[in-house]
Amino acid sequence: MSTPALRLSSVSRRFGALQAVRDVTFDVAPGERRAVIGPNGAGKTTLFNTICGDFPPSSGRIELFGLDITRARPHQRTRLGIGRTYQTSLLFNGLTVEQNLFVAVRGVQPHRWSVLRSGRDDPALAKARALAERVQLAPLLSERVLNLSHGQRRQLEIGMALAGDPKVLMLDEPAAGLSAGERPGLLAMLRTLPRSVTLILIEHDMDIALPASDIVTVMKDGEVVVEAAPDRIEDDPTVQAIYLGTGH
Amino acid sequence: MAERAARWLIVAALLALPWLLPMILPPHQAQFWTANVFGRAIVFGIIALSLTFLATYGGFISLAQMMIAGTAGYTVAIFVDGAVPAIVGGLSYAAAVPLGLAAATLMGLLVGAIAVRTRDIYLLMITLALAMGVFRFVETNIAWFNGYEGIRNVVGPRLFGYDFRNAYVFYYAALAVAGLLYGGVLYLVRTPFGLVLQGIRDNARRVAALGYSVALHRILAFGVAGFIAGAGGVLATIYNIGISPGSIGLGATVNILIMSVIGGLGHPIGAFIGALIFVVFDTFAADLYDRDRFNTLIGLVFLAIVLVSPDGMVGVGARLRRLLGVRHAAA
Repeated sequence: MSTPALRLSSVSRRFGALQAVRDVTFDVAPGERRAVIGPNGAGKTTLFNTICGDFPPSSGRIELFGLDITRARPHQRTRLGIGRTYQTSLLFNGLTVEQNLFVAVRGVQPHRWSVLRSGRDDPALAKARALAERVQLAPLLSERVLNLSHGQRRQLEIGMALAGDPKVLMLDEPAAGLSAGERPGLLAMLRTLPRSVTLILIEHDMDIALPASDIVTVMKDGEVVVEAAPDRIEDDPTVQAIYLGTGH
Repeated sequence: MAERAARWLIVAALLALPWLLPMILPPHQAQFWTANVFGRAIVFGIIALSLTFLATYGGFISLAQMMIAGTAGYTVAIFVDGAVPAIVGGLSYAAAVPLGLAAATLMGLLVGAIAVRTRDIYLLMITLALAMGVFRFVETNIAWFNGYEGIRNVVGPRLFGYDFRNAYVFYYAALAVAGLLYGGVLYLVRTPFGLVLQGIRDNARRVAALGYSVALHRILAFGVAGFIAGAGGVLATIYNIGISPGSIGLGATVNILIMSVIGGLGHPIGAFIGALIFVVFDTFAADLYDRDRFNTLIGLVFLAIVLVSPDGMVGVGARLRRLLGVRHAAA
């Protein structure tokens, strides 16, 4: 059996008296698509933040392709192959779309802090433009991010997460705030991701979460309560109880 | 096309103006204005530029910049030949000035490292505390800094046969340094280093998630600002023919902040505009109102500018351009 892309062993995160994530254990196989769903406050984003290093787990162990990253800093985890987006777009509003993507591309490269201006033939710049094309922002390369619509900001978020060629891509509610017309485009983009990229997705929209995933993890009150294939998840009595209440 | 040419002409005229000023001014006033107003404004402007660089592109307001400038000034004064009292001496200006710049850069890095986890009001307070700590140390240390009297007779070098004590020589040297540093800042902020710095200003968490060490980047930015402040500190020490603790005290520290805010923190040019306004009022306060009431006067000017344009004189310029643009479009 190959080494899992990501292994969580009894990961917990506590904020004072609040146990946000409780004893979460699961493996994500290389190339797997995993959706993490659950009601608000279930601990999904906290689990993401713990995996990405925004705050370390209170206990437990996190491994990336067999490497213990439990205490690694966020930038170290990114360089090791984790890319992520945020529930609320975190972008560089004062910079242009091209500059946002350029900074994202340079983040995992050597000489990332060069004090020499990049020439027009800089490969990082070419990659930034290719990414803009991929997330359908090519016509807006020179536009300041401040002036982008919500949907365009979400697209840029994904472009920036892809910029470092991550081995594990973690998307936190990528469809949040997208119009019904924009959602199929997102799903199509997720489906075009190569299997060399492992995908972990938090998503409330089941029309995106289920078709985009191979396996679904359901969380409630910080714990994993169900893990099942997408075609079985809607019929699971525990999931029905969580989403529809115990009377159903 | 004509509009573009006109814009280039205006930019060229503005760039040429500081170089031509001593020649344009009436001969009987040229030396006074060159030495007491423009030369001094450039020196303060360079120190304010270090603060504006950090604030505009990194989002960090540091109150330690005057202290860092003083670090360079004191280093030169301590090591250069001819200073009174002679603390160490033995070095020429060609050696003492780079040493001063290195000391200021190191102090910038140190301040950046100490304040690395703080932002906003906490950054302001920690940099103020560091500045005041150094000020008190310098004021009370006789062996190295000659206490409250400071170190005198730092007359400056001869540059290609020209004496630095000549007002015009000093002015053009300071102007060249300011031009290089200003151009350097504009260049740096468009490099990967500068773009990441702006990324930290907009969203530090995201910068970390892209693979950058935010802490290290911040410290390096403070080092760059330290170098800029150091250049201003060396020039200020030569301008004043020495340095004393008062030049890095609370008043001097706040003055740099006032200059930066008056000029505007939206663009590095604001540092020089703010410094010029400050120096003009400082120089002519006695004629305008009362020398002893300078702080009241500059306080009122500060209040008026901030109320009319929260982003300083740079903001006034931007507003005027927008207004003229709207009228132009309406016509």
